[in-house]
Amino acid sequence: MIIGIISALVLLGVLPAFIGPGWISLINEMFIIALAACALNLILGYCGMVSFGPAGLYAVGAYTTALLLVNTKIPFAVTLMAGPLMAGIAAIIVGWFCVRLTHVYFSLLTLAFSQIIHTIIFEWYGFTRGDDGIVNIPVPKFLASITHYYYFSLVIVCVCLLLLRMIINSPFGKTLQAIRENPNRTESIGINVRRYQLSAFVLSGFFLGVAGTLFCCFNKNVFPNYAHWMKSTEMLVVCLLGGVYYFLGPVVGSIVYMFLDKIITSYTQYWPLVLGLVILALLLFLRGGIAGFIVKGVELARPRSKS
Amino acid sequence: MTLQQLIIQLLSGISVGMVIFLIAVGLSLIFGTLRILNLAHGSLYMLGAFLCFWLSSTLSHLSGAFWWTLILAPLAVALFGGLLEAFLLRRIYTREMLDQFLFTFALILIIGDLCKLAWGVEYHMVSTPWPLNGPITIMGMGFPLYNVFLIGCGPLVFVGLWTFIHYTGLGRIIRAVTYNRDMANALGVNVPLVYTAVFMLGCWLAGLGGALVAPMSAVMLGMDMVVLIDCFIIVVIGGLGSMPGAFLGSLILGLVNAFGILVAPRLAIAFGFILMIIVLVIRPWGLMGKPE
Amino acid sequence: MLHVEGIKKSFGGLMAVHEVSFQIKEGELSSIIGPNGAGKTTLFNLLTGHLRPDAGRILFKEKEITGLSPHEICRKGIGRSFQRTNIFPRLSAFDNIQVAVMSWQRKSGNIFLQAQKMLREETDEILESVGLGDKKEMTAGLLAHGDQRRLEIGIALGSHPELLLLDEPTAGMSPEESGMTVDLIQKLARERSLTVLFIEHDMNVVFKISEYIRVMHMGRIIAEGKPDEVRANAEVQRIYLAEGA
Repeated sequence: MIIGIISALVLLGVLPAFIGPGWISLINEMFIIALAACALNLILGYCGMVSFGPAGLYAVGAYTTALLLVNTKIPFAVTLMAGPLMAGIAAIIVGWFCVRLTHVYFSLLTLAFSQIIHTIIFEWYGFTRGDDGIVNIPVPKFLASITHYYYFSLVIVCVCLLLLRMIINSPFGKTLQAIRENPNRTESIGINVRRYQLSAFVLSGFFLGVAGTLFCCFNKNVFPNYAHWMKSTEMLVVCLLGGVYYFLGPVVGSIVYMFLDKIITSYTQYWPLVLGLVILALLLFLRGGIAGFIVKGVELARPRSKS
Repeated sequence: MTLQQLIIQLLSGISVGMVIFLIAVGLSLIFGTLRILNLAHGSLYMLGAFLCFWLSSTLSHLSGAFWWTLILAPLAVALFGGLLEAFLLRRIYTREMLDQFLFTFALILIIGDLCKLAWGVEYHMVSTPWPLNGPITIMGMGFPLYNVFLIGCGPLVFVGLWTFIHYTGLGRIIRAVTYNRDMANALGVNVPLVYTAVFMLGCWLAGLGGALVAPMSAVMLGMDMVVLIDCFIIVVIGGLGSMPGAFLGSLILGLVNAFGILVAPRLAIAFGFILMIIVLVIRPWGLMGKPE
Repeated sequence: MLHVEGIKKSFGGLMAVHEVSFQIKEGELSSIIGPNGAGKTTLFNLLTGHLRPDAGRILFKEKEITGLSPHEICRKGIGRSFQRTNIFPRLSAFDNIQVAVMSWQRKSGNIFLQAQKMLREETDEILESVGLGDKKEMTAGLLAHGDQRRLEIGIALGSHPELLLLDEPTAGMSPEESGMTVDLIQKLARERSLTVLFIEHDMNVVFKISEYIRVMHMGRIIAEGKPDEVRANAEVQRIYLAEGA
């Protein structure tokens, strides 16, 4: 497993030497989606909270960084931190309301908040330039080139994934899983479930903010649709495609999603139809997502040890 | 803003609300009985609208084509829904909520693209049918007669549904299954069949809504998601699973949107969501729903 | 140890628990019996904070715990197992218990340590004592029913309770398994100085290990006493024969 990851990282490290800028950009975008999806999966797969509104927090991160870079002379490093922090703060507010509900109602409330964020961004022209978006965001010179930004995001994404992994493997992470399995029982063993869910929601929001900030500097533009529920569904699909019960599931999902997207859109304009059919096929035949499929395949292939 | 303008705006809001009621009540019924939130419900509405367009242009040589369409389009959507339920949806009833969401979301993508395949990306118009194609005068101002017709449709359908659910044998069976599925099963009720029937009813309502809305606004891709979001707001306000709740919610949303546009046009979109948040925080099961 | 005064709870028009009062002494191994619908599980729910009583007080070790939430009551030292198996299905047996132990040690909020290595001894010890030592890596949801019920008790033990409430611990078990579970409960009570209160339908179990029995019917305690006294009680006999429980 570790060998696999190290070789993957090495591969990613040397890749830019062999492929064109278009591909580098594509893979870069894929990292960022992978991070956003992993952030979402912290609450989705590990805590069982189906949020329809991750895009709202993602957009808060993106817009915070964008606004700071365009309107102020604050050092770049600070603006990088500001995005996730604002997203985390937004997550505290949104989360406080949302964790009081469960199941469908939780999901619908996250959707409502996300749409409110979208509306604020869209309508507050004076502040956010509304539908025009914020364009030509100034990024420091050393990050201007595609290859440099590639390495930059690779490093940040890897650090964030390591942090997420640490969180998931910690007692906190195990407790979140217990909450997913049985919130009632978890309450009975002395855990204030709501507080844990809120904490998870805020952590998830923080990392979504990192992803948003990264994308803001990658794209050098931000638009209101970063907060739209379509973006949220994209993140959900990526998680589910890859498999929500596996840490690298969302990463696998983002790879598959990006490639499917690029390949299929070059053949047909009916990409939604294909994606829909793929999702149906996955749900009916490949439960556990693609990562689940791989894991089970590996298990079957491995010689069995004595139980 | 004169009183007349206010009244016209009010009536406008109600007419829109009544159409959305048809879709929302279908969504609510399906959730109440089958316990799944059918994300593809807006897509079925859109399908109804497209079918209405297609049928009325195909049958335009017949007199009263629109009325034929009004009968056929919802039935077609109901049939389509029945097939969907029997062959696909049935497999995911026992799955987790996440799987169900993803499943119905996939249906949104598929149905949406099927419409695109069949009817292209341009938007289509359906002409208002005779004898409803004209304005009437209310307090000295013009108001489309068709919208008055829509305002009438809402309560008509509501009363029809209520009678059906509460005063017929089949309705009683549906209520039994909604209340306690296992008990109904033990008493010999063919629960899967009831599920299919309720789903088809929901689809029929969505299709009817789509067909009714076609003459009023353009038929185009993307109308599925707009109505879906509105439906969510309505069923949250009114209470998932409650018919009167859906009616009340539709009225409220129709009015809030209509007045929102007058009062603060740019923020009007958010009003529905703000209402949704308020209800979810104070009374999550909605104004007329029951706490679980 | 536990002091219940005048607890009442109604749902809609139905009075589920009707002015129940009783006391439990430390170290006591007692049970509550009664026909279905007598209000036993509702009473447990009131004791563990899952329901709020409409009236009355609950005191644990002289301190009031009425109206506290389940997680607070757990911290006070009351543990519980449930009538319908209430475990963490996709986690391993080990994890099921470890989560409870971590919570008790107040380590659950930690995001920096690695959970896998923590509190191994204590978790293993509990697993062994409920007879699941050899199954600790198995996914809990795949365990046999009897094992799941034992895991259920194990999770409750992870919270170091002083008072253990067991809701039908032998539900769905064969007579053999019930016997084993009963022995287990007695052993645990002895080893860990637990006070145990359990709800049971299996009369063999009840009369075998209870030091004290309380009989509930229609929300009230209609009889209580040592097993022989209860067995001889005419009212109890009438209720059980009449209800055919």
